[in-house]
Amino acid sequence: MLRPLIALLMLCAAVSTAAESPVVPAAEQVDRYVALFNQDLLALDDKRRVVTPITGAFDAPASDIARDVAQATWFSLLVFLPFLVLPQVLLIWIIWKYRKRQDGRAPATFTGNHRLEIVWTAIPVVALIIVGIPMWDLLYKMEAPPADQRRDMVVEVRGKTYAWDYKYQRLGGDVPTTRGDQFEVGQDVVGMQEPIVLVKDRRVIMNLTANDVNHAWWVPAFGVKKDTIKGRYTNVWFTPEKLGFFKGQCAELCGQGHGIMLISALVVDEADFAVWTETQRHRADTARVWSALSGTTVDAKALEDAVGAYLLKGSSPWRLFSLRYWIASNAASLARKPGELKGEALKQAMLARRVQVEALINRLTGPTTATN
Amino acid sequence: MSDTVPMPPIKRYTGVMDWLTTVDHKKIGLMYFWFVVFSALIGGAMAGAIRVQLAMPGATVEAMQAAALNGTTALSLFSDANGMFGDRHLYNQMVTMHASMMIFFVLIPGFIGFANYIVPLMIGARDMAFPKLNAFGFWLLVPAAVLQLGSFFVVGGAAASGWTAYPPLSLKAASAGPGQDMWILGVHLVGVSSILAAINFIVTIVSLRAPGMIWSKLPLFAWATFFVAIIQLIATPVLAAAVTMVLMDRNFGTTFTIASQGGDPVLYQHIFWFYSHPAVYIMILPGFGAISHVIAAFSHKKIFGYLGMVIATGIISFIGFLVWAHHMFTVGMPTWLQAFFMYGSLVIAVPTGIKVFSWLATMWGGTIRFTVAMKFAAGFISMFVFGGFGGLLLALTPIDMSMHDSYFVVGHFHMAMVGGSVMLLFAMTYYWWPKMTGHMLCEKQGNWIFWLMLVGVLMAFMTMHLTGALGMARRVPVYFKDFLVLNHITTVGYALTFISSVWFVIDLIRSYGRPKVTENDPWHVNDVQQSFEWATTCPPPVYNFEQVPPIPVADQMGKH
Ligand SMILES: [Cu+2]
Ligand SMILES: [Cu+2]
Repeated sequence: MLRPLIALLMLCAAVSTAAESPVVPAAEQVDRYVALFNQDLLALDDKRRVVTPITGAFDAPASDIARDVAQATWFSLLVFLPFLVLPQVLLIWIIWKYRKRQDGRAPATFTGNHRLEIVWTAIPVVALIIVGIPMWDLLYKMEAPPADQRRDMVVEVRGKTYAWDYKYQRLGGDVPTTRGDQFEVGQDVVGMQEPIVLVKDRRVIMNLTANDVNHAWWVPAFGVKKDTIKGRYTNVWFTPEKLGFFKGQCAELCGQGHGIMLISALVVDEADFAVWTETQRHRADTARVWSALSGTTVDAKALEDAVGAYLLKGSSPWRLFSLRYWIASNAASLARKPGELKGEALKQAMLARRVQVEALINRLTGPTTATN
Repeated sequence: MSDTVPMPPIKRYTGVMDWLTTVDHKKIGLMYFWFVVFSALIGGAMAGAIRVQLAMPGATVEAMQAAALNGTTALSLFSDANGMFGDRHLYNQMVTMHASMMIFFVLIPGFIGFANYIVPLMIGARDMAFPKLNAFGFWLLVPAAVLQLGSFFVVGGAAASGWTAYPPLSLKAASAGPGQDMWILGVHLVGVSSILAAINFIVTIVSLRAPGMIWSKLPLFAWATFFVAIIQLIATPVLAAAVTMVLMDRNFGTTFTIASQGGDPVLYQHIFWFYSHPAVYIMILPGFGAISHVIAAFSHKKIFGYLGMVIATGIISFIGFLVWAHHMFTVGMPTWLQAFFMYGSLVIAVPTGIKVFSWLATMWGGTIRFTVAMKFAAGFISMFVFGGFGGLLLALTPIDMSMHDSYFVVGHFHMAMVGGSVMLLFAMTYYWWPKMTGHMLCEKQGNWIFWLMLVGVLMAFMTMHLTGALGMARRVPVYFKDFLVLNHITTVGYALTFISSVWFVIDLIRSYGRPKVTENDPWHVNDVQQSFEWATTCPPPVYNFEQVPPIPVADQMGKH
């Protein structure tokens, strides 16, 4: 009861007073968030098993819609099951019972039975009504826009060959859209995609469209699928109900890359989501620092200029955290780029760079933050 | 003066020229048959390419990613670059052409071919109403197939936008080569062929029934063919309209489907499915009619609930025109419209159920000879009930939102089309082959063919339902490693089905070397019912019947 309320308050505080927010994670937390936000959809463990198994709407629903869909599916399966089993059993039984034998039995001669025909017309009708009525409600729940959307997160999903763009239009919690909380999350490397980050127990409204050909956004565990079509917006909404990392894929043939147009979705709690949004806000500013770092050798002067410029624009705790986060995050994602250093070599090289940046931050921001 | 000029003698050809110039419905029917066999082998081989790809270790995205990171290529039939046989684009061509071959050149002409041979015999006619039109309709299929298959060899390859050819994917920007245009022109020719056949069947059944064969005595296969002909006549021009919009948008600067210039890609989908839902009935309803005869014949009984069967077929044909959008629930439609299409689709289950129960009732109390034809008929009922069950779930919009464009759908329609239609075609072949060629098919090998097919269909397509429900999208050359095992099972199932089909074709060819059937009615069908096609020789003479068939025939409804 209290927990969501506190979380809500914390979030409100986080977004409304972003600069001085008390919930800025400590610098040591960087690695935790890098690990959380950089999960590899395609990772295999030592035994070559899938680290993030796919979960479907029917076996492990992870949203309110999926839960309802799963329920509806099992219910209709149950009601319809006799119509699957009965004919099969009858068929086998009849073939066995009435097989031609050398006993001289004459075949029956009836050619109709009105009462029987009425029965096997009426019973399916009843079954269809039993299933059809609850479907009406569920259909309207899925397709008619929700009445109160004030707390909802609004994300524009844009399908393009062969990746997804997510533009957060409103982060929810009654935040006015003018606060500049629009940012985009794009493609990472081939076959990989930055996750769409969602909040547990907060409804997300998706407005979907496409840049070129039709695609369809589908994460089975959420129980929703919608086409993305150039020139129109389609909509879905659902409330994620489970924390975790979910996978999906494009479900409308869109060309050669259709099979690798994957989707990853990360559901986090409000606190982690606040960290994610803040780091996204400062992401673009960190690009210069990263480019100064990413060469084979690091030009100390260029790096210092880049860090200096970043800090000049603002040196709030969130900005400092974001810089640390993105340096570490970019380094981590190199592991998923072809032709880059791998394994231990990569780790060492990037650790060295993080240390360099950390030193610069400490030097440029003075002793107050240097304690971190 | 001109009426005194004597008619020039009609030139009679023999051998190959005879087949090329024939207007005899029986020869045309057989040509349809062999054309369909040929197309099915090609379409089946394409399915093989797809299934082999999906069973490769390089077919998982995980393997792909690992290979990309190591700078190697994962082992795969249609790999990203420098693959042995080509690339992803070729894979999409395979997906597209497998469907096109199977739909336009196997299932639709398959039943038309049988109807061509059998319906005139069944209704006691000497030929179709328009024999030359009939020949023309068949021969149109040849350039159509040449256009579609030939497009593999043009720049950019064959059409790769799926058999649904949704724009914008099928427009120039995404599919530049002439393959897509050739595909569309091929569809046009198939369409014309379908329409001509439809007109011919309607006129034949309306006007060439033997005297005394009133509508209430029309055999069910003729009824089904009649309803399907009406569907074809109404729906096929709509398909032509849909693909013509794409053709025009591609080549002549129109903007029917181009969103940025005021068009609407969803418009195409509506028009396309207005044809393509009824088209699934073109691919199965005639078999529904035919199988009633097979079941009755081998149960030694008359058809149960003849009137109900006719009405059910009619209702299915009619409602079939009102449910097209259940193929596009995810496209974004008004909620009330989705509800309409959901309930409409559910309603179809009722007449379908009537048919299934009536088949069972036909068998009830009979003395069942479990011949190969009867096995395929029983296999059809069993598999079709599975397929229909999947269809029931898919009709429920909220569930379809998850199932749509997943392997569940692929499993569903393959269950209905292979477990259903193909089994029907096999049953019909085993039943009517002696009539059509005068030779029997081998019952012993037929048993093997049946059980192989049944196990194959179950393995391949039951598994697909599960794969899809777990989250695998259709038309993909690579998938999450989670689906590896299920895909391997499906591929083994495919192999069994394909082996069984090839075996079947081999037996068809070998049957020509077997001794001629001497009886008119080798299955003793007319011991219980009276069906005209069994009242003449195997195969029938050119003129079908020595005299107008015996009238009145025994009433199909049994009230004589
Ligand atoms: Cu796609
Ligand atoms: Cu349909």
